[in-house]
Amino acid sequence: MNKALTPRPQMPMGVLKTPFHERMDAENFQQSWMNWNGYASPGVLDTAEFEYFAIRNQATLFDISPMCKFRIKGPDAEAVMNRMMTRDIRKQKPGRVSYVIWCDEDGNVVDDGTLFRRSEDEFLLFCQEPQLLWIKDVAWGFDVEATEVTHDLAGFAFQGPTTAATLRDLKIRDVEEMRAFDIRDIKIAGKRVMISRTGFTGDLGYELVMAPKDALAVWDAVYAAGQRRGARIIGNEALEMARIEAGFLLPRVDFISSQTNLRVNRARTPYEIGLDWLVTFDKPHFNGKRALQRLAGVAPKRKLFAIEISRDKAAHHALVYHRKTREVGFVTSALWSATTKRNIAYAWLEAPFGQIEKDDLWVEIYLQREIEWQRRMERVQIVERPFFVHKRRTATPPLNF
Amino acid sequence: MSGDFDAIVIGAGHNGLVAAARLAKEGKRVVVLETSPVVGGLLGGSDPVAAMPFGIHPKIHSGLGLARHGLRYGAPMKTLSLGGEGRVEIDGAVARGVSQAMAANYADLHRKLARYSGALARMLTKAPPRFRDGVVGDMLTMAQLGLSIRGLGKADMRDMLRIILSNVWDLCEDEIGDGPLAAALAMDATLGGGIGPRSPGTVLTLLYRMASTGSGGAGQRSTPVGGAAAVVSALVKAAETSGAAIRTSAPVARILVDDNDRAIGVALENGEEIRAPLILSNATPRRTLLDLLGPQHLNAEDVARLRHMATNGMVARLDLDLAELPAGLTEADLAHRIVVAGDMRQVERAFNAAKYGELPAVPAVEFTGRKTENGWRLAALAQFAPSDLKGGWSKAKKDRLAKSVIKVLDGAIPGFGGKITGAEVRSPTDLEATYGLTGGHWHHGELRIDQMLMMRPFAGAAQYRMPVAGLYLCGAGAHPGGDISGLPGWNAAGQAIKDGGAQ
Ligand SMILES: Cc1cc2nc3c(=O)[nH]c(=O)nc-3n(C[C@H](O)[C@H](O)[C@H](O)COP(=O)(O)OP(=O)(O)OC[C@H]3O[C@@H](n4cnc5c(N)ncnc54)[C@H](O)[C@@H]3O)c2cc1C
Repeated sequence: MNKALTPRPQMPMGVLKTPFHERMDAENFQQSWMNWNGYASPGVLDTAEFEYFAIRNQATLFDISPMCKFRIKGPDAEAVMNRMMTRDIRKQKPGRVSYVIWCDEDGNVVDDGTLFRRSEDEFLLFCQEPQLLWIKDVAWGFDVEATEVTHDLAGFAFQGPTTAATLRDLKIRDVEEMRAFDIRDIKIAGKRVMISRTGFTGDLGYELVMAPKDALAVWDAVYAAGQRRGARIIGNEALEMARIEAGFLLPRVDFISSQTNLRVNRARTPYEIGLDWLVTFDKPHFNGKRALQRLAGVAPKRKLFAIEISRDKAAHHALVYHRKTREVGFVTSALWSATTKRNIAYAWLEAPFGQIEKDDLWVEIYLQREIEWQRRMERVQIVERPFFVHKRRTATPPLNF
Repeated sequence: MSGDFDAIVIGAGHNGLVAAARLAKEGKRVVVLETSPVVGGLLGGSDPVAAMPFGIHPKIHSGLGLARHGLRYGAPMKTLSLGGEGRVEIDGAVARGVSQAMAANYADLHRKLARYSGALARMLTKAPPRFRDGVVGDMLTMAQLGLSIRGLGKADMRDMLRIILSNVWDLCEDEIGDGPLAAALAMDATLGGGIGPRSPGTVLTLLYRMASTGSGGAGQRSTPVGGAAAVVSALVKAAETSGAAIRTSAPVARILVDDNDRAIGVALENGEEIRAPLILSNATPRRTLLDLLGPQHLNAEDVARLRHMATNGMVARLDLDLAELPAGLTEADLAHRIVVAGDMRQVERAFNAAKYGELPAVPAVEFTGRKTENGWRLAALAQFAPSDLKGGWSKAKKDRLAKSVIKVLDGAIPGFGGKITGAEVRSPTDLEATYGLTGGHWHHGELRIDQMLMMRPFAGAAQYRMPVAGLYLCGAGAHPGGDISGLPGWNAAGQAIKDGGAQ
């Protein structure tokens, strides 16, 4: 055979398997997989409801390895992160995590993520969208090195009321003192793990990050220890339910990142999304600051609201009306919340609706009953985010459940 | 020191001087800070880099009373195009030394281009509208230019829109045919830029150059009597009589910004700080924003735009000493601007090499000359000499360039080579080092459609007003761009006064 004609393998073909794939595959009775950032990520393994109740009542493992991850290291790391993010990163101490957003020059949100401060001069940033080029553009002219570590770090979220007890069983002493958003470097099964008290569920929970080669050993140890307390593996569907309850927003679902929108006027500002609590002007110039200062003084043209809807049918993809006639917005995420017993959703509403005009708002819900469609108008109430957050999320030391 | 002045102008190039003079005339206390020991920027010194300055724009000439300060203009300089068959003399719309048919066609072409450049000229004296916020802004901007083009009448308007983004090669091939005459037009269209005659947009750059000239009428270079030195001295007098102070050997190291995101002064390289609420920079956009202001005060998008601004200088300056003039060149000839390119093909070939970072075997040359104590000195410009030359610029590369230029001149002017007694080459990187000229670029940044008008210095920037309040760009990097006109300085000062920058 002509050697020159044999294609050389350069890139892995198709969807990639994360370091935890074997374990998830073994329990994935539905064989339901989604493509998350190029990796196979379980949609649902058993039933979404079981998995969801495990988040709220037991302990759950969710593979976050596909998350985009970046390391920012160097003498100017703090300056660069402070220049990128809308929060004051100078106040974030080593060993702490913060929830961050960053904006483009027009004050539109590029993405959100969690920022781990590993030391004075090193940060890890976890987020949904590829951001290496953005970080490098922000870092140009500064003494810092930004690298993508998406494939170099494996990780899973360990969330639910019985997680702390499980970690105690594993003799992780740091659990006693770790407050929400704390980071510790620990060992599980003899392997080095970065553990943080963070998560997307509004409840007690942790995120564990390790080298891919150590991934299975750590997973196995946690999973085995968790069996006594109902630990199970979960997929995206269950997590999605918990994240809506917990008040977290998802780029591409609830808003469009200003790096991915194609149509003008689709990008959204923190004031529109309701993330203005993450913006502070009491710091040196940061990306989009001038535009944000202008935006801060004016009422947004539209806003994302948390809403509660009468009766029990989730308002997926519903339109929102004023006085049942005038179309004033639409729903992005919706859920019948079993934990709070509320019919909840996020909806975009054109000004002044939701901001000044809060009454007489309705969603139009379509229901299919054995092929036939029914239409219902249900009352909308503007409420506060989050819909669910439990005291045990922040209680330190965490209690055993 | 605080509140020392109302305004600081960084750089005493002709644009900086115009800006300073205008601000001082408005009653501002102004100081001009210049790196070099002499004023004038590329017009400064006894052998100025810009050897064939255009006239200062008539509006500025009268606005600053430059006549009172001794600035006068001679007849527009004629062009002599050598290197082909015979000698072609170009005087505005009149071409001599070509066939009657070509001369007639050229006259038509010139008249036509002059009309079109007139429509463009109206865009040069004001700040162009902003190019921002998507569709609506663009449309308005284009509508404005559209209106002045509409003023041309239907047939002209159609024709202008047809050719404006095409290239000078096709235009000349269609209307007059190749040869020394077309070569001179091709030089005008490409001079100083990283573009060859066949590059799209070169009709626009040709019109632009014709539009930016002074009182001599479109396409005619009115030249100051006494050359560059006369321009500089008149501008210095205009600035100083209105009370502006000019400090030479005072390089600015940093622009100071306060916590409220306002420019409040500058720090010199020696550490001295000078304060003023208004700062105009005659340095290039990249130097002003990335070096003096610093990326920490800019959005990442603007930093990227500045990094990617096209700024590769393409012209080298040669000073050639001759003991005496060769037989083929008379003293009378030296009253002209002399182009030695033969035909457009030669200009395009020279560009081809430079485009890939190489020196052309046969460069395209233009020069002027003057008498010195020991004979004659020619100031020649060699196209195309890329600042990003493969392997970098060195003595050997400069020697090679000098040799090729002399060979070109020797071919066009019999006996030329034998008269040379000395040659000195200044590469674009030399010019960058001496004048802080990013990339050694003629216009402080390529003058092409995506870096023109409302997109100058780069798309998204507000032309003169820079992102930090109180900071303005007043040099060739701002609209309407390079060459000698004074318009960027004049417009920038106007904008600053309008904004009430200096209370
Ligand atoms: C080789 C060459 C030949 C040319 N020939 C001609 C010609 O024949 N005819 C023509 O019309 N045009 C010519 N040009 C173009 C013309 O010279 C320029 O477009 C014009 O000089 C721009 O004027 P300016 O005032 O904006 O900037 P400049 O003339 O570049 O002046 C900028 C000034 O700012 C100063 N400066 C920069 N940084 C600092 C700092 N940090 N602190 C203090 N001062 C600073 C510089 O020292 C300089 O004096 C030529 C250009 C080149 C490169």
